[in-house]
Amino acid sequence: MALIEIKNLNKIYNTIAVPVHAVKDVNLLIDKGEFTAVVGPSGSGKTTLLNIIGGLDKPTDGQVIIDGRDITKLSDSKMVDYRLKNIGFVFQSYNLIPVLTARENIEFIMLLQGENKQKRDERATELLKAVGLGDRIDTRPAMLSGGQQQRVAVARALASKPSFVLADEPTANLDSASAESLLDMMEELNKKYDMTFIFSTHDSRVMKRARRIITLVDGKIADDKKS
Amino acid sequence: MLIALSWKNIWRNKKRSLVIIMAITSGLWGGLFLNAVWLGMVESMVETAISRNLAHIQIHQPQFDQDRDIRKHIADGDGIYRSLTAHNSIGAVSARTLINGMASSPASAYGVNIIGVNAQNEANVCDITTNLQEGVFLDSKYRNPAVVGAKLAERLNLNLRSKIILSFQNLQGGINYLACRVVGIYKTNSTQFDEMNLYVNQADLFKNLDTKPIFHEIAVRLNAIDSLDAVKAKIENIVPGQLVETWKEIAPELAYLSDMMDFYAYFFIGIIIAALIFGITNTMLMSVVERFKEIGMLMAIGMHKSKVFIMILAETVFLSLTGGIIGIVISAVTILLTGYTGINLSFIAVSLESFGSAAMLYPYLPLSIYFTLVLLIVIAAVLASLLPAYKAIRLLPAEAIRTN
Ligand SMILES: Nc1ncnc2c1ncn2[C@@H]1O[C@H](COP(=O)(O)OP(=O)(O)O)[C@@H](O)[C@H]1O
Ligand SMILES: [Mg+2]
Repeated sequence: MALIEIKNLNKIYNTIAVPVHAVKDVNLLIDKGEFTAVVGPSGSGKTTLLNIIGGLDKPTDGQVIIDGRDITKLSDSKMVDYRLKNIGFVFQSYNLIPVLTARENIEFIMLLQGENKQKRDERATELLKAVGLGDRIDTRPAMLSGGQQQRVAVARALASKPSFVLADEPTANLDSASAESLLDMMEELNKKYDMTFIFSTHDSRVMKRARRIITLVDGKIADDKKS
Repeated sequence: MLIALSWKNIWRNKKRSLVIIMAITSGLWGGLFLNAVWLGMVESMVETAISRNLAHIQIHQPQFDQDRDIRKHIADGDGIYRSLTAHNSIGAVSARTLINGMASSPASAYGVNIIGVNAQNEANVCDITTNLQEGVFLDSKYRNPAVVGAKLAERLNLNLRSKIILSFQNLQGGINYLACRVVGIYKTNSTQFDEMNLYVNQADLFKNLDTKPIFHEIAVRLNAIDSLDAVKAKIENIVPGQLVETWKEIAPELAYLSDMMDFYAYFFIGIIIAALIFGITNTMLMSVVERFKEIGMLMAIGMHKSKVFIMILAETVFLSLTGGIIGIVISAVTILLTGYTGINLSFIAVSLESFGSAAMLYPYLPLSIYFTLVLLIVIAAVLASLLPAYKAIRLLPAEAIRTN
């Protein structure tokens, strides 16, 4: 059984002027352990699709079944819990709390999950080492480079032990070297923990790293290639 | 950690936080200090009036106040006086003989209130005996010594050793004369009092009137002011048929001032805090609006609205309490310090004297007000946080984190 099953998904934004059909009749199966890129030009619906999979937005129509459960039917409050326990998020920016150190940022999500102090400490330290920031544990985001900040964000996404990680254009604000090394790291974590990664990008060098590339054009799946 | 995060968050924009903290601090400082000065002033007015001659409790013949007739003296005043002094739990007692009369000097004449006292007893009850500008309080080798107020001395052109003639109604309805010698001139904070009141030895009055001791007023000064009503009831039992009144009943305007002052203190502080609520709300709104994306991110990764609300609430309370506690500490130190040294207001003493207040002012604030204040600040902070916190939890994470 697939980890994520998307059936006839549609999203129409009812703007005052004209309705925008951002996602059109999308059907997808994503398995555990995938390392998948959603690509397409700007405005093609990548963010909208990822937000719906991540439960940040509701579709106009269709289902998103994760582990056999249709998350589009969950109430807002249940959805918050669902995100907290099952989905790791990495955003393009504003990922970290600036007044907390790298470790505290990672601990924060475990705190929301109700983990005890010792577990939080151990796991945060372990993850920071895994993303190559073992020496920047007590550093605040402002003292980290953009690439390092995204590594902390990835570490935080993993900290909650999610079933999969959603990353919306995680490399958009990074130079190509940092982007490459972030992808290296994500790939490594994907293999090491068998963690499912779904990320969007419109950078061709980044998309080449994916083992599956789903191409969106005007909200429709134009291509779906596995390598 | 949520609480620690809130604390850290208020220091993100140090300048803005410090501005509002200083606004709270200075608002409270000004408000509390002014309150303390008012309270000190009222306290001083009350204390001055009580020690000048009001005392805490007075006993009169019930009809005396109608026309202050010399014949309306307390029946068996001497016996009552003795039984009161026997109750040493009550405090100091002074029995006064009060006669309306006329004081004449070669220069002029003026209507006065002749107060016949036993100098020693009066000294135990009131501080008039220590308010002498010149001379002594009746303790003199001259026959029929008198002590006059500075204002009366000025009016009648009197100096020490000047002669004055007192004329007044006697017990039979005729007029008696008493030739006195000024042996002391007193000055209180009230020129009105100084102009009207003249002290003589009551023994001299009794001899002149050819009577056994008669008293119109028995003044009692309590050991403990808070037992006022209890002692009044006790005295009423000892002296049935006489009018027993506390200073609050004799000088209701002073009592009113004193009672209302607590209310005004809270009212005034309430207004200051209400004004501060707007400032705090504004600061917190700015802080929340600036963090829309971050708060959206927190909600996206799984922070419940209730926790976001608590975070903003805690930030507001921390911000307000920081300002509040600094304000309270600075105010308390200022008030304690000035309350100890006193504030010398002699440069405006003339206008203060017409209020009957002393030139030295000792600001004070009851301790309870500080505790109430901390509570009020927390309540104010909670109120101030409602709008910003509401704005924060209304965010849609998907919208808030969209970057561009
Ligand atoms: N909140 C919204 N209201 C209206 N239109 C929106 C909203 N969010 C996105 N859109 C529109 O939906 C389309 C898809 O946007 P988006 O999912 O952000 O694409 P991408 O991430 O690929 O750039 C675009 O045309 C965009 O303008
Ligand atoms: Mg996008």
